[in-house]
Amino acid sequence: MGRPIRDWAEIREVRSAAAETWWVELDSPGIAATAEPGQFVMVGLGLGQVSAPFLPRPFSVGMAGPDRTVGLLLREFGSGTRRLAQLREGDRVLLLGPLGRAFSVPSDRPVVCVAGGVGLAPFLFLAADQNRTGRQVQLLYGERTADRVFAPSLIEELTGVAPIVYTEDGTAGRSGRVLEGIRPEEAPALLACGPTPMLQAVARLAQERELSLQVSVEEHMGCGIGTCQGCVVRSASGEWIKSCTEGPVFDARELSWPT
Amino acid sequence: MADLTQSVFGVEWQSPVLLASGTCGYGEEYADLIPLAEIGGIVTKAVSLEPRPGNPPHRVSETPGGMINAIGLQNVGLAAFIREKLPWLAENLSRARVLINVVGHSASDFEAVVAGLDGEEGFLGYEINVSCPNVKDGTLFGTDPSALADLVSTLRRVTSRPLIVKLTPNVPDIGLYARICEDNGADGLSAINTFPGMLIDVEQRRPVIGNVSGGISGPAILPMGVYLTWRARRSTGLPIIGIGGIRSAEDALQYVLAGASLVQIGTALFVDPEVAVEVHRGVAAYCARAESALRDLVGGVMIPERE
Repeated sequence: MGRPIRDWAEIREVRSAAAETWWVELDSPGIAATAEPGQFVMVGLGLGQVSAPFLPRPFSVGMAGPDRTVGLLLREFGSGTRRLAQLREGDRVLLLGPLGRAFSVPSDRPVVCVAGGVGLAPFLFLAADQNRTGRQVQLLYGERTADRVFAPSLIEELTGVAPIVYTEDGTAGRSGRVLEGIRPEEAPALLACGPTPMLQAVARLAQERELSLQVSVEEHMGCGIGTCQGCVVRSASGEWIKSCTEGPVFDARELSWPT
Repeated sequence: MADLTQSVFGVEWQSPVLLASGTCGYGEEYADLIPLAEIGGIVTKAVSLEPRPGNPPHRVSETPGGMINAIGLQNVGLAAFIREKLPWLAENLSRARVLINVVGHSASDFEAVVAGLDGEEGFLGYEINVSCPNVKDGTLFGTDPSALADLVSTLRRVTSRPLIVKLTPNVPDIGLYARICEDNGADGLSAINTFPGMLIDVEQRRPVIGNVSGGISGPAILPMGVYLTWRARRSTGLPIIGIGGIRSAEDALQYVLAGASLVQIGTALFVDPEVAVEVHRGVAAYCARAESALRDLVGGVMIPERE
């Protein structure tokens, strides 16, 4: 994995992908060349201003490739992400990355990506990366409602994979939770990223059916590189471990899950 | 060529810029991003006698113009620090100075950490942390004059290395605590640690921070840090390391003019690691423009006389 780079990167393109949700492509050749699916970048506006986002925010690398660009999935949650969503082509953001531990994609069994909400981001990169090497992963993607669903046509354009979409209220794709798309009898390797309740449910299923599961977790983050110890999650042995450098991708067995 | 060199704590400093405790780990984490050989030094994450688990998440969050944190002094403990962290500092930091931030539940805890470290190599001295707002007894020594006096005199007997006390802003008169440190043999002061604060999620109606309260840092506290540095300067002759909200050379120079010989940068590192070198260069440019050595600017703020 590459060493982290600090880079004022220019925004090349901003595309609307769903309600309050954007696909942003940045020109950052150094990060694009070394990032691996599951890694993240810190995205900030530098020290010239102090309004939100003052602290950089962690984003999964949504795409990185030979065309020098880094793609990010951006959804407006609070004042910081709302401000980032107002940026347009030609604006610059300060990137630090690539950071953290990537997914390790097994080659001996079917790979199923389980995405909830913005947890879709790392799997865009991963699915495209696998597709380039001639492997197809399955992409299960859940949202609460239809207006939140990241445009399936854009997912297919970016990755070459058609997602299986679930909405909780049935307004788009299949009705129900994304978990219902997992077929344990096929002994898939599960990769999951999404809200904590979804991760807990997938972890429970993986444990019951003895499936391999890697999860990408999210916690409030300060530095992104392991110094501030702000972004901890509880390990299986009960210690607080850093999601930035020891994660964000963990084998589910490394973490403690509520029973 | 600007002259930034100063003799402080018995050694020569090539730069007034240090990285603050808790924001630069044990140095190694920033080695790829910050040219540590070009700055003044680093202050390590706090070291306690026994390992500490730290507080539950969330541990950090943004606040207006800064951040709140309640890490809870999570650290590997003295033995593992000596075994796993100190060798890297000894091997890789020859130009930048290293201060080890020390924390304890009791005076004997502090004493054991300092005694345990004192014969090792790879660092200059200690920053004694009596001002952490995020653990139960974190500010005990920093807010009790007699406990502080006992602690500083105890540690003075254990070490001849530089002993710098990191003060809390959360006292009515910081000058009192500055004088106590001086009277009991401290070599310097770090002013200041974070301000206690709280952030509430109104949708959840719960505190954002797992520890309920936390320490506020970042640009929001700059003027308070500058003021308290100036207050401490008027009460003691000890060298002061100014800390709190620095993100530019101008910010650092405010601390210098208020009375700080050295400064520490913390929260701003998270926004842009380049800030350490940029502040150093900006201070050098100011000194060149002012045709003044940095050491001659320390405490140089001119207070107008009132009628």
